[in-house]
Amino acid sequence: MSGHSNWPEWIYVAVVIALMAWVGAEAWETERLIEHVPEDAKIIIVTGQQWFWTFEHEDGTKEIGELHVEVGKAYKFEVISKDVNHSFNIHDYVVLMDAIPGRVNTVWFAPDKVGEHDIQCREYCGLIHYNMRGTLYVTEPSS
Amino acid sequence: MKFVFEFLLIMAVLVALPAADFAFAAGDEPGEYLDRRVVIWNLFYKMMTVAFIVGSVVSGTIIWQVWRFRESHPKAKPTSYEGTDW
Repeated sequence: MSGHSNWPEWIYVAVVIALMAWVGAEAWETERLIEHVPEDAKIIIVTGQQWFWTFEHEDGTKEIGELHVEVGKAYKFEVISKDVNHSFNIHDYVVLMDAIPGRVNTVWFAPDKVGEHDIQCREYCGLIHYNMRGTLYVTEPSS
Repeated sequence: MKFVFEFLLIMAVLVALPAADFAFAAGDEPGEYLDRRVVIWNLFYKMMTVAFIVGSVVSGTIIWQVWRFRESHPKAKPTSYEGTDW
């Protein structure tokens, strides 16, 4: 077609490709950063079942419906389920991981302030899903 | 050839950005952990900024095109395949 220039289209295509590359790189980098578990993270086994959470610390102590951790330390959650799909969520610390029967999913966090936070199930798991809650207690380090 | 060059350039950016950020990655020293909340919400706000800017540019372009190329626009011209009797 004479007299027709298509350079705006090429600029449009270049901008779209550049944006997609940038968005992809940012998301990829964020995922890489948050999936990097600190080597000294303490392991807590989180078990979801209808309709409560059980937490097992490295020393074998277990807690039901509440979890005590210490400020300034890193923790790695190994999230499992005994029955149906659940999702382990500590909203205030942006911790969210599915609990799937037959799988061990991991997520980590490092609380930086003393306080109490809600733990909840974020995957509809049956009649009392709405009340599958717990409390996270972040305390001062004991030693 | 040009396509290959552009493709390689994009791939280079995709690899270089995370590699550059690696230098600033959080250490494993106790008490120096990465603040997941900051990283995750930061990504969210960046993506929302991009999404809203792209959304407004695209919808703005469409609205302008509809307005500019309507039949009743003062500068509207028939295309060759529409005939010359305007």
